[in-house]
Amino acid sequence: MRRRKPVDATLHGVVDYNAGALLLTAFPRLAGIEGTRSAKQVRTAAAVHAGYSTLTDYPLGMVKLIPFKAHLAIDALGAAALAATPFVTGQFKQGTRQWLPHVGLALFELMSLAITDPTGRGDYHGDVEAVRRANREDPHRKIHDGSRAVAVST
Amino acid sequence: MRATVWSGRNTVQVENVPDPKILNDRDAIVRITSTAICGSDLHLYDGYIPTVKRGDILGHEFMGEVVETGRGVSNLQVGDRVVVPFPIACGNCWSCEHELYSVCENSNPNAGLAEKTFGHPTCGIFGYSHLTGGYAGGQAEYARVPFADVGPIKVEDDLTDEQVLFLSDIFPTGYMGAEFCDIGGGEVIAVFGAGPVGQFAIASAVLLGAERVIAIDGYDYRLQMALNKAGATDAINFNEDPDIVEQLKDLTGGRGPDAVIDAVGMEAAHGHGALHTVERVKQATRSESDRGHALRDAILACRPGGIVSVIGVYGGLIDKFPSGAFMNKGLTLKAGQCHVQRYTRPLYERIRKGEIDPSFVVTHRLELGMAPDGYETFKHKQDECVKVVLNP
Amino acid sequence: MRSKAAITVHRSREEVARLWRDEAYRPEYIEEQDAAVSFKDAPGDRGTEIHVDLERSGGISGLAAKLTGGQPALAKVKDDLRRFKQRVETGEVPRSDGAPEGERFERKLKQRPAQPLSESELEKVGV
Repeated sequence: MRRRKPVDATLHGVVDYNAGALLLTAFPRLAGIEGTRSAKQVRTAAAVHAGYSTLTDYPLGMVKLIPFKAHLAIDALGAAALAATPFVTGQFKQGTRQWLPHVGLALFELMSLAITDPTGRGDYHGDVEAVRRANREDPHRKIHDGSRAVAVST
Repeated sequence: MRATVWSGRNTVQVENVPDPKILNDRDAIVRITSTAICGSDLHLYDGYIPTVKRGDILGHEFMGEVVETGRGVSNLQVGDRVVVPFPIACGNCWSCEHELYSVCENSNPNAGLAEKTFGHPTCGIFGYSHLTGGYAGGQAEYARVPFADVGPIKVEDDLTDEQVLFLSDIFPTGYMGAEFCDIGGGEVIAVFGAGPVGQFAIASAVLLGAERVIAIDGYDYRLQMALNKAGATDAINFNEDPDIVEQLKDLTGGRGPDAVIDAVGMEAAHGHGALHTVERVKQATRSESDRGHALRDAILACRPGGIVSVIGVYGGLIDKFPSGAFMNKGLTLKAGQCHVQRYTRPLYERIRKGEIDPSFVVTHRLELGMAPDGYETFKHKQDECVKVVLNP
Repeated sequence: MRSKAAITVHRSREEVARLWRDEAYRPEYIEEQDAAVSFKDAPGDRGTEIHVDLERSGGISGLAAKLTGGQPALAKVKDDLRRFKQRVETGEVPRSDGAPEGERFERKLKQRPAQPLSESELEKVGV
């Protein structure tokens, strides 16, 4: 039987937001591209990624609009687009720093997609209200009212 | 018929599937009247157990009415009300004859798979992955029960479903956990985990004569149930104070409990500090299958010369087993999936005599169609959920 | 590459030897392999040990098994041993929904989902 992919929708979301935050803030400086076109490109990619993540139907999405599988497809396209950008603009000729971060980030994204489980709904919480309404028992009474359920041993 | 099937991590759906049929002479078909969601079902739900397939019917705690029997079944008649034990046991092999039903040598048709994981195959189990045979489970309208001349126990009509349903799994499991502790009267028993199995372990320790029973959990409402209903004498909430070992020493005059029951298993929640974070990451990336906090603390907390009784479910390997503490303190480690068939009759007698009313654990009773939300409520311990029973 | 398999059957040696040759119980795959089969009393009340050694099986099938690593052959031998034990001890071969034909090496790679079989599947499986 094939092993399940280890990253579920929740973990993927955690990485989406954390990586997005890092890319928007410190990454350009750490990669030595602060102030260049590349920095703007990376930041734009990060902002767009974080943006559609908030609209994704997975546990960490705010408005559950985009199906998780579609999100993963956009991730893949976005990675390809980011990797291609320096070559399309010609800026790759200005040195390794002007294309390596793009390609590196794209590879990271593709690797994370390869280990993400596209099925299931991650760590979501069901409809507790519906359960409360449908419940034929009263949990609070069961726990607090009434006498012991077990006799003391003889 | 309708059945709750596994559809991906954290996803179950109630779907239409074919009705079960008699495949072997010793089979019976049971129309299910009540079935429950088990804590061990959550390991399947969370995706920690390998070999679960989309479409697998879950559920191993069920009871109902016999509607058909194979030619080899003479102990049951159509119309009999039965509770079905979760281990499928042939009754004929050496293990079954020695009452070790949960390690029946014959009932797992995927023995070759199980052998690779554990070294030897163990019994078939209803609705518990293909490692245990790939048998359809009981969170459905009907179930096929193999070796029906060995497992199912007939029950009288004067007790409600909820009073006898738990003979299928959690009451015998808690009882076996307590029995492992060799209680002669006057002992202090600590029970890690105040979920349904923990509640029955506590109640069983009381029935067997323990003087004090200490319940350990992270949720106050579960500790309340243990104190109010199950007969626990003390409670420890590790979210208020994470040092369980020290608190147990405080409660026992520095000695430690005489025996400790691990009713938690592989998804232990109470780890703290660096080791816990490391374990959560390893488990999330599936590089380690089992979290060992409960077992570790049980070994560290138990008094020297005492017994550690493991009935929480583990599936694979844990890191950092306290081998030094285990050996040098001279502990006895006893474990096992419950040999339910050994206990159904004696425990049914205790219920009939009024010594215990097992329905105390049921906080939620839902129609089968609510299973998906039922699983979520149970998993996240919302709405003071302890045990969910489903009625098809 | 391992070539031996063993299983213990909870019956006397006379009965095991007799049933091994009986039409209804005879393990087909093991017979085809021309392997060395021996019966030994197991200690205490455990019954009879059956030992199968593929090493001495010659011919094309033996060579092919060695070339392909031998594992499918040994797995099938174990299947046969388990099915023999199941028939002798319980009177039937346990079937599940995932493995409706009982213990079969091929089924390990391709399990059915654990839900009841449809009418057509039941026919195929011979019920």
